[in-house]
Formats: sequence, structure tokens, C-alpha cells
Amino acid sequence: MAVEMASHSQVLVEEKSGVRILTLNRPKQLNALSFQMISRLLQLCLAYEEDPSVKLVILKGLGRAFCAGGDVAAVVRDIKQGNWRLGANYFSDEYILNYVMATYSKPQVSILNGIVMGGGAGVSVHGRFRIATENTVFAMPETALGLFPDIGASYFLSRLPGFFGEYVGLTGARLDGAEMLACGLATHFVPSKRLTALEADLCRVGSSDPTFASTILDAYTQKPRLKQQSAYRRLDVIDKCFSRRTVEEIISALEREATQEADGWISATILSLKKASPASLKISLRSIREGRLQGVGQCLIREYRMVCHVIKGEISKDFVEGCRAILVDKDKNPKWEPRRLEDMKDSMVEKYFTRVEEEGEWEDLKLPARKNLPAIAISKL
Amino acid sequence: MRKLLDGHNLVDRDWIYGLMTQSNLFNRKERGGKIFVSPDYNQTMEQQREITMKRIWYLLENGVFKGWLTESGPEAELRKLALLEVCGIYDHSVSIKVGVHFFLWGNAVKFFGTKRHHEKWLKNTEDYVVKGCFAMTELGHGSNVRGIETVTTYDPTSEEFVISTPCESAQKYWIGGAANHATHTIVFSQLHINGTNQGVHAFIAQIRDQDGNVCPNIRIADCGHKIGLNGVDNGRIWFDNLRIPRENLLNAVADVSSDGKYVSAIKDPDQRFGAFMAPLTSGRVTIASSAIYSAKVGLATAIRYSLSRRAFSVTANGPEVLLLDYPSHQRRLLPLLAKTYAMSFAANELKMIYVKRTPETNKAIHVVSSGFKSVLTWHNMRTLQECREAVGGQGIKTENLVGQLKGEFDVQTTFEGDNNVLMQQVSKALFAEYVSCKKRNKPFKGLGLEHMNSSRPVLPTQLTSSTLRCSQFQTNVFCLRERDLLEQFTSEVAQLQGRGESREISFLQSHQLAEDLGKAFTEKAILQTILDAEAKLPAGSVKDVLGLVRSMYTLISLEEDPSLLRYGYLSRENVGDVRREVSKLCGELRPHALALVTSFGIPDSFLSPIAFNWVEANAWSSV
Repeated sequence: MAVEMASHSQVLVEEKSGVRILTLNRPKQLNALSFQMISRLLQLCLAYEEDPSVKLVILKGLGRAFCAGGDVAAVVRDIKQGNWRLGANYFSDEYILNYVMATYSKPQVSILNGIVMGGGAGVSVHGRFRIATENTVFAMPETALGLFPDIGASYFLSRLPGFFGEYVGLTGARLDGAEMLACGLATHFVPSKRLTALEADLCRVGSSDPTFASTILDAYTQKPRLKQQSAYRRLDVIDKCFSRRTVEEIISALEREATQEADGWISATILSLKKASPASLKISLRSIREGRLQGVGQCLIREYRMVCHVIKGEISKDFVEGCRAILVDKDKNPKWEPRRLEDMKDSMVEKYFTRVEEEGEWEDLKLPARKNLPAIAISKL
Repeated sequence: MRKLLDGHNLVDRDWIYGLMTQSNLFNRKERGGKIFVSPDYNQTMEQQREITMKRIWYLLENGVFKGWLTESGPEAELRKLALLEVCGIYDHSVSIKVGVHFFLWGNAVKFFGTKRHHEKWLKNTEDYVVKGCFAMTELGHGSNVRGIETVTTYDPTSEEFVISTPCESAQKYWIGGAANHATHTIVFSQLHINGTNQGVHAFIAQIRDQDGNVCPNIRIADCGHKIGLNGVDNGRIWFDNLRIPRENLLNAVADVSSDGKYVSAIKDPDQRFGAFMAPLTSGRVTIASSAIYSAKVGLATAIRYSLSRRAFSVTANGPEVLLLDYPSHQRRLLPLLAKTYAMSFAANELKMIYVKRTPETNKAIHVVSSGFKSVLTWHNMRTLQECREAVGGQGIKTENLVGQLKGEFDVQTTFEGDNNVLMQQVSKALFAEYVSCKKRNKPFKGLGLEHMNSSRPVLPTQLTSSTLRCSQFQTNVFCLRERDLLEQFTSEVAQLQGRGESREISFLQSHQLAEDLGKAFTEKAILQTILDAEAKLPAGSVKDVLGLVRSMYTLISLEEDPSLLRYGYLSRENVGDVRREVSKLCGELRPHALALVTSFGIPDSFLSPIAFNWVEANAWSSV
């Protein structure tokens, strides 16, 4: 058992026979993914794939969070300095990491013992096994920030049951461990006090055949009851409303439901939609709908185009404004532009999905060629 | 390329694809780690009919049909057509049920009816308060609408029309929706006023009450189990002196006053009938388009399968060869792929001219839609058969779709006009145009005949590869063929008439030339649409590939047509050159095959499981 710990390393690495345990190590920032962390994770994942002595990779976070997201504050700083391309590079590296994880030929077990949001979902949900605990808090909060659920979320959200994916992606709703398990975002649920034992058992796998890890996880997993007011108990309303063709129709459908019954959950849902960036809502809806019909690689390529348009800020500057209001000044009062859904025209939405016209320099996201893919990865492509 | 092929309303299509994949009503299943949605054709006829209706209610609840009758204009119409196409990609039965209700019943009310009909029926149709069907076809008369035997008279004392079925051959047959669900129908009938038969007219009749009981003086029987399309409840209807109010005559073209006088703005009965039937073109447009989407499903499946399935080695200890690496397998599938591409552009062009139609363009639309409907539906049947064979035993499995689609789409070749009859209409229209222009000594204008005003094209005797792929050469051959066949046809008919035969008999005897001509006209019209699409593209890889596809379309059409040798447009050597060029093109299209079928834009979940990981789909763990 060799334990490597570079004191400045943001990703800690432990080797325990055939298993590599990677720990995200930026607890003060809730393990938000920096550019260096992304590069390091990518480097490690690719190396482990080639290394026959590695059978399994475990990913977890130090402190009370797994990973609260990407380092969007840094991207906003780059944009403000007129350097949107640096921001674009951040996202392209991140999406390539997401793609490698989604098409990984060895099992990845992510232990989501805390906050997992945005970019945190990107480095875990695409992996084969996701372990939720009683401490898990999941969300894709991007529409409140003037962004959209990226990191391949258009792939996995769209594949949740019914139209739950639209609900999660548009409202930024928080899900606990039980809800993640119920909807399929998590594959197993293990109480946090058993995690140490679980890790020890996982370190004994001698093969990269996922059935070994699966058998171990199945022995630890539980099926916790959904809380009484869980959104996942309201799938009938969610499917009825979030299947509508446009954001406006989704909101009217919810408002119609609200008149039938005075319900705190429906009002809260409507409120989060009304507070989100109109531009974000519309591009997110379309992204999820398109992603439903595409493989994970195509989703990431499309999302990369979208995020470049977002950070260029030519159609809307909501991303900068959202980060200001929520992360920097924290007044929680963003001034969106366009302010109303009707002012976000289809032609404006369409622009986010086109290639970026730059003085000859911009290119679509280039995904690495993948070989030796397991059947489960082939089906994602 | 997907944008080019689907043409319009991509976001709307994706929405419906999503509605279907996310609901439990569309028979979701997992195969090989992927989700698929396709109807369970193993259900009984009754089960299939019920689930089809449930699927339509689900789409209705989601607002899919909003504005289908109450909105007008090209944009609204294109959106309807796109949504209908997606329904058809999922299941032909769904699109037929929806099509009968909205495009046959609904459009009849809209275009044959007047304000009072619109106000009473259109919104209720959109909301499915009434369920409509379309009683035109009879046991004894299908393509020949003018010969139907249902009779309607007028009773001035009660101001009612009386509809009756005078003999068994007059029973309405194949009426989609009539057997189980429909509450109302359009009835087509001969209208006898004061002893004079004023010809075929359309009426509204209620056939069921809101509780589903058949109304008095109406008998309904089931058409029974079919070789496909069992999600549609086709019925047979007899009218036993059924009385309907005078207002139920759809009176846009003609009317009957309360005291029983027949009035019409169009005096000539033939013209009246033509004006009357014009709205039915929408059927041919939607059929042509859905035939091509069905062919796309078949080809996407067969080509993807052939890119992962191996059979036989060609070297001693070598690996088995991928199916699509065999020249013979390429030759079976790639020309069909190119034809499907060309016809896809043709179907889109037809939709565009249809939604922008004016009274002046109606005649041309009638001719072109007749040609396209016939050629595209025949092509679909041929393509599905080839695709079924190309995937071998897997094509026999119902769940793998390719074989099942044959039965589901077969009817397209004979409904809304038998293909052979429609093609005759094409040649008759060209004949009439030719004779009229020659008589008045006017240049040809319309129906794509303008090339006849210039001198006869001369084809080079040496056909090199670059000549064969040159669009000017390709256009010239198609124009020459059309011109020569038109001249031969009119000349032969004239000869027969000169010997004392009537024009109609002369047409019948010249039917072989008529068939050749109809095909030549249609193939040229199709070529023009793919050329137009190619021309609009900026230089680049998409344009280059489309150029290869276009050449393949042209050359395979020439290779398969005996007319070229029979009438000497090409020499024996030339025909050999064409054949060799087709083989060359097969090799050049091979690397693009996957991209070409992916560009169809049909989501993976709507294809067959064998298009993907067919080994995993059949693994023991999934049994």
C-alpha cells in the first residue's frame, strides 16, 4: 500500500492494491474543480486505463462536500478581462474529462457523501457507480446563475424517468440521497458510517469486471424511504407540466395545477422558474430535449458550443450578472437581460446551438478516440 | 445534413420524440443497454387499436394537435406535417388515425365546408370532442371516386338529405376509425336532385353518439384483421335512408337551396369535381413523405448492422469481413440509400409547394404529387424488402422492425389512389399539356417541360467518369428521355386515334409507353430537387458528399431503366460505363455510409436494436 500525498496537491492519490482512491482536496472551496484539478484527474484517469494493475477507481471529496461545482468564479474573472477563450479552455478540458469518464473501460465508484452540484455531477454521474449517503445534496443550479446544466447533464438528465430531468435542470431543485437513488442518478445508497468498511471491501477487487464491484456494493446498499414532501412523489404533476413544448407553457401548466390545490411545492417550483434567467431556461430546455436523442459525446460537443456563446456574452450577459448576484456580491437580485421569457426569441435561442464564428480560430470540441469500450459505454455513444 | 434532410421544424420533432420516449405508453424497452420505443405488434388487434387511441389521447393532452385546424398558413401547415411525420416514424397506425381525423375529416370540413361548418366542427375536431372519419371508398370503387354508388336525394318537405346504400358493392369499406371509435364521418355520395345526378358531393353524418352506440339507420361492420396497420380500426358502413339536415352538405363548391334547387359557381361537372378534390392532395403529400421516413428507418438499420456484422473470410486465416465491405452488399444498399436521399429532397419540395399552393399551382401539384406518391411508396416497399434480406434472420424478428414495416406500409402503394392509376394520370396530364402547346403553337411552360423549348440534347458518345458525374450531362439524359418518351407516347396515341380508336382506348393500348413516361417525368423531377439542394450549399464536404449521392441516384436510375437501351439513348458501351460507374460510386460512398444514415436524424431509440449492439441485445443476461 503506497500512499502519495503532495501537500499542495488538490487531488490526493492512494494506491491500495488494484484500486486507486482519488480524493478531491479543496475543502475550503467545497472541492470546487479548479483547472489544475481537472487536468490532474484527466491525466490520472487516462493513465489508469492503460495500467493493467489498476482494476477500479474510487473518487471522493474531503470535508463536507463531494464537489460543489466548477470554478465558475475564475471563468467570470477571465471574461471580465476580455479573455473568454481561457474560460472556453476550462470548459473544453472539463468536458473531455466528463467524456473519458462516460466511456471509461474500468469501473469508477464515486462516493457522494455531501454536496454534489454542477461540475461535481460531471465527474461522478457519468461513472459506472454512484454511492449516495444520508449527507448527499445534489443539484444542477445553473439556470439561477445565467448558465445552463452542462457537463453532459443534457445526456443524463434527459434519461431520468418521465420529464424529471427537465424539472431538475430548469428549477435547480435539490435532491437528497434517497431521491438520487430513486431516479437513477445514484446507483447505490450506503449510510456514511459504513463507508470505511465499504472502501476496504472494494479495495479487494481483483478484476476490472464491474460485476465484482457490483456484488460488493449490492451487499451494502439500502433503499431509504423518500421523504413525505419529496418532489419525486409528484411525478404525475411533473410529467404533466414539464412535458410541455415551451418554458412559458410549462409555467402556465404549473400555475393551472396550483389553482387545483394550494401546494407549497408547486409554488416553490414556479418561483424558482420565475427567478431564473429567461435565456438560461430556454436554452436549457432545448439542450435537454436535444440531448435525449443524442449520445454523450454529441451532447458534450453541443454543450461546448452553447457554453462558448454563454461566455462570449453576445446574445445575453446573464452569466456574468448571475455570478455577480449569487457568488460575488451575493445580493441574490440578478438583473437578467432579456428580462422576460417572451423577449428571449427563438432566433436568439437558435444562436446558442450554432458553431462559433470567430476569426478562423474556434473549433468544435475534439473528443479523444476511445478504444476497448465496454458495452455500457458503447450504448452511451 | 440532418437540417437539410428533415428540412423544417427540427425542435418540434425533437419534442415529440421526447414525449414518446419518456412515456410508458409507447412500449419502452431496454436492449443492449439502450432504450427503444416501438409498438408491440404481438398484441391482439383489439389491444393494438386501444393502445393506439391511448397514445393519441396522450399527445392530445400534451397540446400536440393545438392549432391543427384553427391555424392557417405555411408555417402552421409545415409544423403539422413535421409532427405527423414523427408519429409515422413511431407507428404507421398512429399517423393514419391522426391523419384520417385531422387531414381527411378535418380538412374536408375546412376546405369543402363553409363558415357554418367551421364554427360548428373545427374546434371540436381539434379537441377530439368529435372523432371523425372519411367515408369515400366503397367495396366496388376505390381509385375511381366518380363511380361510387352511394346515393343521396333531397327531401324539401323536411329539408333533409337522405343517404342510402343501394347495393352491397356500395358499402363504404376500409373506413379508418369507423369500426370502433369514430362519432362522425364525411360521406361521399352521388347527389340526385330532381332526377338529375349532379355528381359526387360530400356530407357530414353522425355515426355514433357520445356513448359509442351506433346511430339509427346506420350499420357498421369490422373490416377484420389486416397484414399490418392493426392499430387502425377500419370499418364498413351501410346507410339505410339516413336523414341528415340540409346544412350538413359541405357547400364550398356547390349547394342545394331549401326548396331543392342545385346551385354551383362552377358549371362544368369535370371542373367542379376537380375543384372539389383538390384539398385531397394533402394525402399524397403526407404519404410520400412518410414512405421515405420508413425507408430511412430500414436503411439506417440495415446499414448500421452491416457495419458491425461480419461473415466469411476472404483470406486463409484472416478475420471475417464486414458485410458492408463486400461490393455486392454495397451494391444492394448504397444505391437505395442514394435514391432515398434524392426522394427525401423531393418529398420536402412537394411539402413546400403544397403549403404555398395557389389555385394556379393546383394542377401542377396534382401531377407532381401523383408521381411522387407512386414512386416513393414503391421505393419504400422495395427498400424494406432489400433491408430485410440484408439483415438476414434478424429481419424476421418482429421486434427488429425492418420486416414488420413491410406489412405496415404496404397499403401506401394502393390507397389514396392506386399507384398505377396515379402514374397514368401523370402521363395523361403530360399528354394534354403537349397537345395543347403544339396546337396553340405556344412554348412549354410548367410541369418542368421548359427544356422541350430548346433543341434536343446531344449526348456524348464517350462517357468518362467525370462526364457521368457532371450534373449537366445527368440533366440532359433525363430531359432527353422524358422528351423522347413524351413524343413517342403522343405519336402512338395519335396513330391509334387515326385508325379510329377513341382517345381513352388509345391510352390503354399505349400503356407501356405511358408507364415509361410517367417514371421518366417523376425521376427527372426528383433529380431537380436534389440538384437544387446541392446548389444551395456552400463549397465543402457536405456538398461534395451530396454530389456523390446525387450521381449515384442518377446513374442507378439509368442503370435500372431498360428505356435507355430500348430507345437508343445510350449505346451498349455507354450502358456498361454507367454500370461500372455505379460500382465505383459504391466504393466511394462506403466510408460515408454511417454519416449518411445518421444524418436522417431519426433518434436511436426509434430504430431497431440490431442497428446497435445486437450481441449485447441478445445476451443471456437480458433474457
